Amino acid sequence: MTEAKEIFVRLDRCMACHSCEMACAVAHSAGQSLYTAISEKPTPKPRLYVEWVAPDRAVPIVCRHCEDAPCMHACIAGAISRSPAGVVETDADKCIGCWTCVMVCPYGVIGRHLEEHKAYRCDRCPDRETPACVNACPTRALIYQSATGYSRSQRQTASRAMLAGNGG
Amino acid sequence: MAMEGKRYVIVGGSAAGMAAAETIRRLDPGGSVRVLSEEVDAPYFRPMIPFLVSGKKSPAEISLQGCGPYQAKGIEVLLENRAARIDTGCAQVVTERGESLAYDRLLLATGSRPHLPPGIGGVSSDGVFALRSLADARRTALRAKSTRQAVMLGGGLLNLKVAFALLECGIKVTLVVQSPEVLSQLMEPADAFLVRDALDQAGLKIITGRSARQILSNEDGVNGVVLDDGAELACRMVCIGKGVQPNADWIDPRQIPVNRGIVVDKYTRTAAENVYAAGDVAVTFEPITGAAIITGLWTNAVAMGRCAGANMADRPTAYGGTFGILNATQVARMPFVSMGIVHTAGTDYETHSRSSPGAHRKLVFSADGNRLLGALFVGDIARAGLYHTVIREQVRMDDIKKQVIDHRLHYGHLLCARRYS
Repeated sequence: MTEAKEIFVRLDRCMACHSCEMACAVAHSAGQSLYTAISEKPTPKPRLYVEWVAPDRAVPIVCRHCEDAPCMHACIAGAISRSPAGVVETDADKCIGCWTCVMVCPYGVIGRHLEEHKAYRCDRCPDRETPACVNACPTRALIYQSATGYSRSQRQTASRAMLAGNGG
Repeated sequence: MAMEGKRYVIVGGSAAGMAAAETIRRLDPGGSVRVLSEEVDAPYFRPMIPFLVSGKKSPAEISLQGCGPYQAKGIEVLLENRAARIDTGCAQVVTERGESLAYDRLLLATGSRPHLPPGIGGVSSDGVFALRSLADARRTALRAKSTRQAVMLGGGLLNLKVAFALLECGIKVTLVVQSPEVLSQLMEPADAFLVRDALDQAGLKIITGRSARQILSNEDGVNGVVLDDGAELACRMVCIGKGVQPNADWIDPRQIPVNRGIVVDKYTRTAAENVYAAGDVAVTFEPITGAAIITGLWTNAVAMGRCAGANMADRPTAYGGTFGILNATQVARMPFVSMGIVHTAGTDYETHSRSSPGAHRKLVFSADGNRLLGALFVGDIARAGLYHTVIREQVRMDDIKKQVIDHRLHYGHLLCARRYS
């Protein structure tokens, strides 16, 4: 079985351009284009958030699809489950808008559709090869890779830096 | 040589029991898992039963199996089967039908039942409900069909949810609350104004500071309620929502210590060998003060049940305790989250309250101001889970206090505080 991919964040690369948020909202709109998304009702919403920490740090925050997802176990309606691909999904039909998931999410990444009275969250773009946010990031601050693959590339980067520091 | 699988017996088929069963199934595929349930219905999401009263959901739609984390096969649920007693010496549970179930590990997860306050006459009349089970909800829904006026006794969350279900059925609903304001367990009266406004606008009639003295009835069941000031309210249905009490009466305290609920250690073990307890029936503790508490919350019961399941399957797992208050919901278009310590009258806690149109919040800090102890958000509940984490983990306020007070905290603040300071 191939290891499922996740969205990793390279904090040092984010410039707070918010392209990922825009791409996410468009990807979760009916019209799938920025021009139609702007006038859609309810307004398409991003499912990840680029926040700012003074004085100079931008932090993209995206659902971690936690292994022991607190939202899934806390949900009183059975609306949150894990897909075979490891994605924690909210079933909008089952969601009753009690916001228990919002109360227990340690990352603060579960949004609320007030018009529809439903919770929403990152679904890792099931119909795309790569999530829209990852594709949109101009500095590759967001990486879509398996945990094993990502840690290998991090190790290699660190090794190269060490070698370079020692004069190769 | 093949080993016999462990025999797990769970008494109670709701949140704690089924969460434990699911966990055991995952960790010990070779064991047998049997759940005794006194109910006629297969396990379901209990907090959803008000939707049965309104007709928004059917029993099938609130069933547990196959939903959310409840995917496991191979859990045997024995319905309409009540445990009568435990023989800890022989490691057996004896049911009311006289059957004996031998166990290697036993979980007591018998939950709680509605608390019926003494001093109200006529509570056994037809048309008086204290909603707890799916069967109760069915009976309530049936009676609602011929009801035009209903009286709710108690201003807690359950009664509010049922009140709205009845309003949606076109019934005139009067809520009688003994406290000065609704939801007094979850917020102080001064913090409840937005919720109260929303309830008033939704058409709920609320009488505060009064309690019921007598429920009146005729051959057709309930026909009125007399309050303690002598006022009489005509109605065909009464719902009592005055909290819950643990179902621990069937436990022999000489075998297993009971202090209102079943006493457990931090690994959810009772004093009897191989016997565990979790959920509403168990005494747990508040993580900040360590105080013993009993809660009646689905979310807590699931968390404790999962922990008990892991311990029963020989994966020692300490339970972290729970806040007595940990509620999120939306009543009448007004969402709110209440967690930790939110009652501050007569205390020396540092309290910050702010109101803006459509939103109110209150953050409660320790007297020295260094720790967040509780948070109440009404109207705007964004990222409430972060505040939950901050309270639970006792995060130091050094860099983040302003953001906490202003309700602007995000995960980046916690991440950067941890990584770079």
